[in-house]
Amino acid sequence: MNFITKALAVTLAGFTLAAPAALRAQQITGAGATFPAPVYAKWGEAAKAAIGIELNYQAIGSGGGQNQILNRTVDFGASDAPMDPAKLTSGNLLQFPAVMGAVVPIVNLPGIAADQLKLTGEILADIYAGTITKWNDPKLVELNHGLTLPNIAIAPVYRADGSGTTFVFTSYLSAVSPEWKSKVGASTSVKWAAGNGAKGNDGVAATVRQVRGGIGYVENAYATQNKLTTAQLRNKSGAFVKPTLEAFAAAAANGDWKNAPNFAVDLIDTQGATSWPIVSATFILLPKDAKDPARSANVMKFFDWAYKNGGKIAADLEYIALPEAVQNAVRAAWAANVKS
Amino acid sequence: MSATLAAGPARDARVADQLSRRRRRASNMVKLLCLVATGIGLAFLALILATLLWLGVSGLSLTVFTRPTLPPGSGGGLLNAIVGSLIQTALGTAIGTPIGLMVGTYLSEYARGSTLGNVVRFVSDVLLSAPSILIGLFVYEVAVQPMGGFTGLAGSLALAVIVIPIVVRTTEDMLALIPVSLREAAVALGAPKWKSIVFVCYRAALDGIATGVLLAIARVAGETAPLLFTSLGNLNWSVSLGQPMASLPVTIYQYAGSAFDDWVQLAWVGALLITFGVLALNIVARVVLRKRT
Repeated sequence: MNFITKALAVTLAGFTLAAPAALRAQQITGAGATFPAPVYAKWGEAAKAAIGIELNYQAIGSGGGQNQILNRTVDFGASDAPMDPAKLTSGNLLQFPAVMGAVVPIVNLPGIAADQLKLTGEILADIYAGTITKWNDPKLVELNHGLTLPNIAIAPVYRADGSGTTFVFTSYLSAVSPEWKSKVGASTSVKWAAGNGAKGNDGVAATVRQVRGGIGYVENAYATQNKLTTAQLRNKSGAFVKPTLEAFAAAAANGDWKNAPNFAVDLIDTQGATSWPIVSATFILLPKDAKDPARSANVMKFFDWAYKNGGKIAADLEYIALPEAVQNAVRAAWAANVKS
Repeated sequence: MSATLAAGPARDARVADQLSRRRRRASNMVKLLCLVATGIGLAFLALILATLLWLGVSGLSLTVFTRPTLPPGSGGGLLNAIVGSLIQTALGTAIGTPIGLMVGTYLSEYARGSTLGNVVRFVSDVLLSAPSILIGLFVYEVAVQPMGGFTGLAGSLALAVIVIPIVVRTTEDMLALIPVSLREAAVALGAPKWKSIVFVCYRAALDGIATGVLLAIARVAGETAPLLFTSLGNLNWSVSLGQPMASLPVTIYQYAGSAFDDWVQLAWVGALLITFGVLALNIVARVVLRKRT
């Protein structure tokens, strides 16, 4: 007992002495969306070396990110879904985009390799609504002439947890299917008519991989890293596109940033012959009146650095950097709104 | 009549023999079922340990202990998580143990049979079985929000709240085992009550109380839920109690579900470290307790 108490005392004394040294580093804390977490982590590593700001980003989910910044327990929040404008005003927050990414459909079909299967948004909506239940459904066969589709049941997999990915995916289904829009709608968690739930992108990926005939939707990084079988999608112009960085960037370039209040741009099903239809920006929420303005200043310094130098890192992880005009608009918004 | 009488003792013996055989069979059957149940329980433990070893050992390397967590593909380790876990567990235990010890002493030595004592015991037992996520939320409300940020200190406080009822229970139980005659002897020698508690009862119950503290450490070392809302986690090297702090369970929680192979591998290594750390503490606790009995 004595020994334990002494050991504790010594350890604690050691940490109290070590604490001031750690305070010297300029640390900023952010929390929220899981979707951009890998790219924020990479940016953080590079920015620490370049400008001496240590970013601690914790992926607790978009909903959590919104709540924590409203409670002012972090320096900035992050969310895939843009925040409700009323909440932005009442919370005195500035919203700006950080980076863009894509959601891709993944399938598990014997004999079918990556990007062979062609799908449309309408068919995806029918699958998740439970009206198309077999892989050799005439609608699917008609789209995929060269492929032999097996007579097995379709097993749709969705996110059981509240998720920005679900928000982006259901926004897409709502955009292409009026029926989906009226019956289910777009949200971080919706009432699914068919299929099974799984937790997290990894849960969806694992379930689809295990179930023959499975179909799911994940962030692009999960599909690439785990070498999952992705599918082509038909975009607004009627062309089938493969989920590639070029297709994501084409969609991003077609976003109508100028008419988007709070930068809440809609990148779902944009125009353009080569655009991937399910692309979304992910957002940062920054207090306009931070208790410690120096920390907000560091957050802006960090993202300013990331806009300037983080494009390559983002592209390596298959995220898309913001267009330069948007970056400048964000910088102007910082200068106009944030007390620092 | 006479025929049945003659057959009586022989039949009784046969019936008794049958009965005993049936009972023996039933007893063996139950024994077998118990063995199977034990086997299933042990098999799961063995499977967990085997999986951990299988997936964790291959990722063990020096960098795990020398480098902090880094983005995927940058060759990071778990140093900040390991140190963060050590700090928060140590501080949580340091805060929780004295409180638990004093409450346990009060219950055993001062409040035996009193209403207040029973209420305190009941509340402590409820706290003992409270879901740890609730304790995290509680500390979030009373410490994180007012202080305006997630901190290692808040994480330690949450762990301390978990430590308290465990130490209360073991302290009270261990003190209750001390024979009244020992206390009487102390009092007879003219020792005031506090002296008899500190120098007689504590000394006699020391091993048991220490075991309770060790078990409490083992319990909090693996807690994720109370830390999610309090110390949040930290990607960088930080030992400041006023900043968010990394910990092994939270890092495992985040890495195990990631898309990146090196992060998933680190999650297994972290799980291995925690499991064997806790296992070692449990074994130490057992050994200490055995020495006593």
